[in-house]
Amino acid sequence: MRTEYDATVIGAGLLGCFTARELVRYGLHTIVLEQREDVCTGISRANSAIVYTGCDTKPGTIKTEMCVRANRGFDTLCRELGVRFSRCGSLMICFGPCGLGVLEKKYAQGLENGVQGLRMIGPEETYDLEPNLAPGVRAALYAEGTGTVLPWELGCAAAENAAANGAEFRFCSRVLGISRREGGYTVSTDTENIRTRCVINCAGLFADEVQELLFAPSVRLFPKRGDYYVLDTKAEGFISHVISHEPEDKKKDGGFDKGGDKGLTLVPTVEGNILVGPSNMPTDSKRLGSTERDGFELLDRRISEVMPGLPMRHMIRSFSSLRPNPFQVELAGGEYVRNGKSISNFTIAEPAGDASFLSFIGIKTPGMTCAQELGRYAAEKAAAYLGAKEDPRFDPVRPAPVRTADLSVAERDALIKDRPDYGRIVCRCRGVSEGEMIDAIHSKPGAVTVDGIKRRTGAGGGRCQGGFCSQKVIELLARERRCLPEEIMKDGPGSYILTGGETDA
Amino acid sequence: MRDIYDLIVIGGGPAGMAAALTAEECGVDRILIIERGERLGGILNQCTHSGFGAAYFGEEMTGTEFAERFRERMSDSGVEVITGTMVLSVSADRTVTVSNKSGCAELHTKAVVLATGCRERPISSLHVTGTRPSGVFEAGAAQKMLNLGGYDIGDDAVVLGSGDVGLVVARCLAQRGRRVIGVFEIRDVCGGSDKNRTECLDFYGIPLYFRHTVTRIHGEGRISGVTVKDLDSGAERYIGCGTLITSLGLVPERELIEPLEAEDGSLPEWIFTCGDARTVHDTVDAVAFEAEKTGAEAAEYITGGTDI
Repeated sequence: MRTEYDATVIGAGLLGCFTARELVRYGLHTIVLEQREDVCTGISRANSAIVYTGCDTKPGTIKTEMCVRANRGFDTLCRELGVRFSRCGSLMICFGPCGLGVLEKKYAQGLENGVQGLRMIGPEETYDLEPNLAPGVRAALYAEGTGTVLPWELGCAAAENAAANGAEFRFCSRVLGISRREGGYTVSTDTENIRTRCVINCAGLFADEVQELLFAPSVRLFPKRGDYYVLDTKAEGFISHVISHEPEDKKKDGGFDKGGDKGLTLVPTVEGNILVGPSNMPTDSKRLGSTERDGFELLDRRISEVMPGLPMRHMIRSFSSLRPNPFQVELAGGEYVRNGKSISNFTIAEPAGDASFLSFIGIKTPGMTCAQELGRYAAEKAAAYLGAKEDPRFDPVRPAPVRTADLSVAERDALIKDRPDYGRIVCRCRGVSEGEMIDAIHSKPGAVTVDGIKRRTGAGGGRCQGGFCSQKVIELLARERRCLPEEIMKDGPGSYILTGGETDA
Repeated sequence: MRDIYDLIVIGGGPAGMAAALTAEECGVDRILIIERGERLGGILNQCTHSGFGAAYFGEEMTGTEFAERFRERMSDSGVEVITGTMVLSVSADRTVTVSNKSGCAELHTKAVVLATGCRERPISSLHVTGTRPSGVFEAGAAQKMLNLGGYDIGDDAVVLGSGDVGLVVARCLAQRGRRVIGVFEIRDVCGGSDKNRTECLDFYGIPLYFRHTVTRIHGEGRISGVTVKDLDSGAERYIGCGTLITSLGLVPERELIEPLEAEDGSLPEWIFTCGDARTVHDTVDAVAFEAEKTGAEAAEYITGGTDI
């Protein structure tokens, strides 16, 4: 096994996976170190799933440039990677003068940024497009280029394509130390020392901590929590665009430590669910996934303002996300404290003063949209630094996985004749076959947990939330991975589902 | 398997079997039962406890024995059975699309009996706060893992909801030497039968708390506790636990026919429903009686009221 690499990517979220994919485009020997057992287990798994157009950010920033370019290329990217993408368009709506001011500003900003397909529309056209909106809509900013994609599907596809082109992934490998050495760095995990010429820090919520393993603190992350609801596919069609709401009671700057200063967003996902959220609440924890009462209350209030008829009886799940807000920090009284406003542009640090060490710290919205652009940015820097050229053997295409539910009867029948396991439906809510799950387990990097199967196939994400299929999924994972069912985790460390008599807590 | 039938019964649990057998007695010829599991019996296959059959068979037996009685009647009948097969859709032209290991096919029929049973309401559909750890099971899923899978699902269990399945799983855990901390019921009455309350809880000294619910789930990895709220005092307290069993109510599984429902909820005349897919029943005996009537109704529709 190689222990010396051109580039080491820390973190296998969306950004790490895309960075790895772009690095191998230059033929660089690349390794991705991930503390968890799979890709996309952190902030990449919980966000609004929106592909933005680039009208939300200031002209001339790297964030805006990347977002506008990424949006234009998103169909091509998703085709290359075999990922489902719906360019459904978006409506940003307002009910009064404050919101209208914001919409007009974003419209002008969008035009200046070169975003195409933007229009300010009146109430009549707004209700034609989205008849279930609450009465009293003043105006809407329609953006035809907005789309939606499943973040984990995108991340898994990028990871598979990176791996197919030679990137190595090491899971359950937490980076504990980084030191300089002649011609590069040594990155130490709990199990090995990796010698590398470049480091690209894509550690998401922990990117500040990773950078501080070697460098003095400069930017730190202060997360905010967003609670979300997911509605069943039975609510499909209730909305047909991404809808976001610019509230009248938005708090001005300085409200970072207060909650609720964002309006509601509704997203019709590619799987036919409706995603409702996020709340935007302060939190002092980087621990992902804890929903809170105040967040639910805010969502319920916003829903009653924006779309009171939303069929909440079809809610199947709630979850929470964390947004990694970067702040400059300075030393005061012996400790580093937050200084000024949250940094709104993407923070890309080169703490060593050259491209040998690059840190993405606090890549929040539109981070998913820009994941490929950011990865390309890092790879171009690394390639220039290392003197690497594009590798003609790089193949950008990752074949789409089989999704039997999307096929015709004849196509399914032909497929089953060849692979009978595609005929056996395991997840009844989403119609996922055993064959699709086996493919997910044997993809590289493959699913090792029940949630890993869910991210890759959708199984267990439907209205019964895995009550029907999880035992079967556990048994399949155990069979294919040649281990005991008791060893299969739901998700992260310690999330065992079945217990052996001797391992009981 | 041919591709034209007089009657297709979707679901091979007690409702589907009873409906098909009666339809055959009433003169329907080509009947097919489509079962997604590997054998007939449905949910009864995981019900190893007794309390079944007194009304229908005149004697008390376990759920698995009840299923076996019906399977015997099935093997003496001319009803065709296909297991390990999922129905993907039922369309307005009376086509039933199925998938199994041999292929994907469209079957044509004069009538359909939907006998797909019900599913449990997951806790994730409630506004419960906290984390999303492992160790949270719907009671029926837990029962299947325990009784059919032979697995151990953990210790120190809290049961939320006092429906019959929750009570039976509480007993099942207690019988295996697992500690059941208590059953928490949001209403002021037990959801399950008096008999189950006595036999599953009282006998094992498992407390039942009325007007209590779980408001928060704690734990990273595996569940480590729940916050329980007393609805009368409003007080909340933390209870450490290693397993959470939920019994929050059953929902008829009717998604296959929902696309065919008219605005007023009515169904095409060739679709019949029975068992828990029609409405959730208290006992399997009641399901069997009702399904027999449904089978006869379907037969009358198919044969036009005359015995062939």
